[in-house]
This record gives sequence, structure tokens and C-alpha cells, in this order.
Amino acid sequence: MAQKRKRPKSLYHRAKDNQQFQAAMTVVLPVFLGMVILVLWQTQTLHQIFHTDTFTLPLIDRIGTIFIENRAKIWENVKATMTVALIGLVLGSLLGYLIAILAAFFPKMGTGGLSVIGAFASIPVVALAPVMNNWTKGVSSDANTRSMVAKILVVMLIAAANMGLNAYRGLTELKPYALDLMAVYAAKRRTVFQKLQLPNSVPYIFVALKVSVPASIMTTIVSEYFAEYIIGVGRQIRENIVLAQYSTAWAYIATACLLGIVSYVILMVLQKILLRNYH
Amino acid sequence: MKSKKEKMLSTLLWIVFLVIAWEVGACIVAVTKRSPENILPHLYQIIAAACSTKQVSAGMSATMVVLTSARATILRALVGFAVGASIGFLLALIMKLSGFFEKMLFPYLMLIQLIPVLGLAPIILSITGDINKSRIVIAAILSFYPVATNTLAGFHSVEKEKYDLMYIYAAPKWMIYLKVLIPSSIPYFFTGMKIAAPMAITASILVDTLQGDGGMGCMLSQSLKHAMSIYVFWLIVIFSAFIGIFSSYLMNWIEKLVSPAKRVG
Repeated sequence: MAQKRKRPKSLYHRAKDNQQFQAAMTVVLPVFLGMVILVLWQTQTLHQIFHTDTFTLPLIDRIGTIFIENRAKIWENVKATMTVALIGLVLGSLLGYLIAILAAFFPKMGTGGLSVIGAFASIPVVALAPVMNNWTKGVSSDANTRSMVAKILVVMLIAAANMGLNAYRGLTELKPYALDLMAVYAAKRRTVFQKLQLPNSVPYIFVALKVSVPASIMTTIVSEYFAEYIIGVGRQIRENIVLAQYSTAWAYIATACLLGIVSYVILMVLQKILLRNYH
Repeated sequence: MKSKKEKMLSTLLWIVFLVIAWEVGACIVAVTKRSPENILPHLYQIIAAACSTKQVSAGMSATMVVLTSARATILRALVGFAVGASIGFLLALIMKLSGFFEKMLFPYLMLIQLIPVLGLAPIILSITGDINKSRIVIAAILSFYPVATNTLAGFHSVEKEKYDLMYIYAAPKWMIYLKVLIPSSIPYFFTGMKIAAPMAITASILVDTLQGDGGMGCMLSQSLKHAMSIYVFWLIVIFSAFIGIFSSYLMNWIEKLVSPAKRVG
């Protein structure tokens, strides 16, 4: 019997089969791409591609300097934006969850209500924000409070729609036979809810939050554009562009991106801690 | 079939309830506020404004203003959406074909979801310098990543058994893609499109408000500043809400049209 000749593996194949190498690549490759983009940006190659100049697309070190110089003012705006996003998110999610519970208890009415709420989620923020501004005209004589309430209401609506739809699925899409088991136990409706439906919905809450955390920040930023009182990261982006201070605007854009990323990381950490028992 | 009817009925009931709530609110506002039409006009007033032939701007009635501006906005949103969705699908395909690209691009695909892209609207406008181009660019960015992530998830959802079967058939790679991977990614692709469609419209309207160019957002801010009848504002709000909701349903309908498996159920 002829011995099967073993061909030496090529470098490509050896790399492909090496687990450690592959794991390292998942980190190295994105970092590499990021570096390439940064270098292209700093050396103005990016400017040539987009046919723009260092005035509208400032170099990175310039944005960094402005960021550090204005950090007090940026922090003030970050606080304004995050207060709105956070309050809106929390209130909206609670409201959405409550609606989901109601819908789960009264399915006949509830499903229709949920589809109406789902429709609310597809209403453009741009249309909601001015309406809310008009509605909250009489809330307070202080323009800051007034526009804050308007912004929170918009964020709330978006967050509630998101949470309502997902939490309803969590409360109703139970494991097969789970309800039958509860019936065998002669469990009360309240016990079924506490022991079965509520724990089942927890992962779905995080599914909803994963969408609504970035969405609430985006919504806050957009509704700041229409707000009466000039404050917030989003509004500063626009104001600075109107004033043709592009580097300052870019510093605020960087801030907005950071806000989105940091809040998502916080959410992921929270999920890891809270959902430990689920996996 | 019955449950579907029941659902329709309860949805209808809710809509009726909302209309009643709106009217009650409008009645209260009409009594207590100085200019009720700014805050909450009666629905019949809005409908009357839609039907009236009174000219509000440049010889056009309110409905005509809304419809002409809506055509401009929706067309641009549509172009951006089409570009974004096709880029998203292609990107997902490339990422599936090559592990190198997947590893390199996947973290960025996650990252771009966290970036408030609409906040970038003013800066993209000043980079492209052209309002039409920036509208398309932003709508494309906003619609490309839901499509890309969802389609990629669809490619990854294919069971190992299907690959094994294709291996037994000695199917070439392109055949596997054509017969297995792409068909099974289609439902996921549409999920992405359903998320992306209202976003593209929002983006398009938002960019309108940045510069006067006859889009819906432009008319919205003009009527808010009382440059024309305030009812134009309400018409636009209702119309854009309608488009947002409708776009989602439209995607549903197209999905049923192109995927025979769904048509039966």
C-alpha cells in the first residue's frame, strides 16, 4: 500500500487552522483598518478623496486640541443631552413595559394596541419634535425646562414603542408546555406572571434596550435641532456649522459618537452582570 | 383567519380611541389656549385645510404644497435607500465570502450603529456641498447598516446540514451561494429593510430642514415660522407619519411578493 504523501501545509492554511492566530486577527485587523483611516485623515489623503479641505474636515490633532480646550462647555452640553436621553429612556421603557403587561393580560385589546404603538415607532422624529414643542409651550415659563420636557417626551415615545413590542414578546413567547405545567400546579394568574412570564421577559428587555439606547441618543440629538432653548450636543453641532466653526462642530460630533459608544458599553456590562443566571 | 380579523378589529378600535382622545384634547385646547390651531387643531379643521383650494404659497393649495414637496423628499429618500440597501447586501456577501473582510469590518459595522448619524447631517452637507447629494448619502448610510447586519446574520443562520447536502451534491461554491445562502438570507434582508425604510425617510426630511430646497422638512420649518398656513405643518406631520408607517408595510408586501414560501402562510 502506497504511503499517502503528506504535503507540507502552506502558510495560508496553517494560519487558517490556528485558533490563536484567528482570535488575534479579530483584534488586529480592525485596529489596522482604524490606523489606516487615521493616517489617511491626518495626511489629508481623505480630503483629496472627498474633494474637501482642512477647513470643513479638520485634521485630527486640531479636533483633539479644540476638544480639550472646550471641555468645560462640552461637558455642560453632554450633561444636558444625557439627562434628556436617560430620563426619556427610563420613563419610556417603564411605560412600554407597562403597556406590554396590559397587552399580555388582555390579549384581545392588547394586540391591536401594540400594532398602533408599533406604528408610532415608525413616525419620523422630525415630525414629532415640533409637535411636542408646541404642546409643552405652557409647561413652564423657563425656556430650558420647557424644551427639556418636549425633548424627553419625544425620546419617551420612541423608547416606549420599542420596549412595548419586545417586552410583549418576552411575556407571551414562553417555553412550550410551561403554561400547561402552571395549569397542572393550579397556579394563580399572579403566580404565573411572577414566576414564569416576568423572568422570561428579562432577556427581551435587553434586546429592546440594545436598540433603544443608541436610538434615544439619536432622538435626543435630532429633537435638540427643533428645541427652543439652545443646548445639547446635537444643537451645538448645528450651531457651530451655521457659524462656520467646523473644528468645534467636529469636536461635538466626536463627543456624540463617544456618548453612543460609552452608553452601549455600559449597557453591555449591565447585561453581563444581570443576566449571569440566564446562561 | 379569525384571529387576524380580531386583531384588525382591535387595531381599529384603538385608532377610534386615539381619534376621540385627539378631539377631546382639541376641545380643551380650543377653550383654554389663545391660538389653538398651533397646538392641537380639530381633525376636521386639518381635513378641511387639505381639501380647501385656497392658495397658501406661490399659487398652490395646501395639499399641493405638501404633495409636491413630499415627492421631492421621498424620491431622494428612495434613491438613498436603494443605494444603501444594495451596498449593505453586497457588503454582507463580501463579509461572508471572506473571513478577512468580516474580521476587519464587523466591529465597524457594530460601531456605526452607535454613532448618531443624523447628527452628522450638517457636516455631510458642508462636505458634499450639495443638498441633494448629502440627502442621498445620509439616507444611504442610515439604511446600509441595518441591511448589512441582518443579511449577515441570515448568511450565518444556514444550518450545517444544508452545507453537507450541498457537499454531497458536489455543488460548486457559486451554486451554494445561489441556491442556499442567498435564498435563506432573504427574510433577514427584509427585516433589515423594514428597519431602514422609515429611517431613510426621517433622514431625508431632516436634511430638508437644513437648507431651503422645497422638500417636506423645508416646508415644515417654514410653516412653523408662520411663513404659510399652520395647517400645512399639521398636514406634513400627519403625512410624514403616514409615510413612515406605510414604508414598513410596503416592505412587508414586497417580501410576500418575492418570497413564495411566505406567500402560502
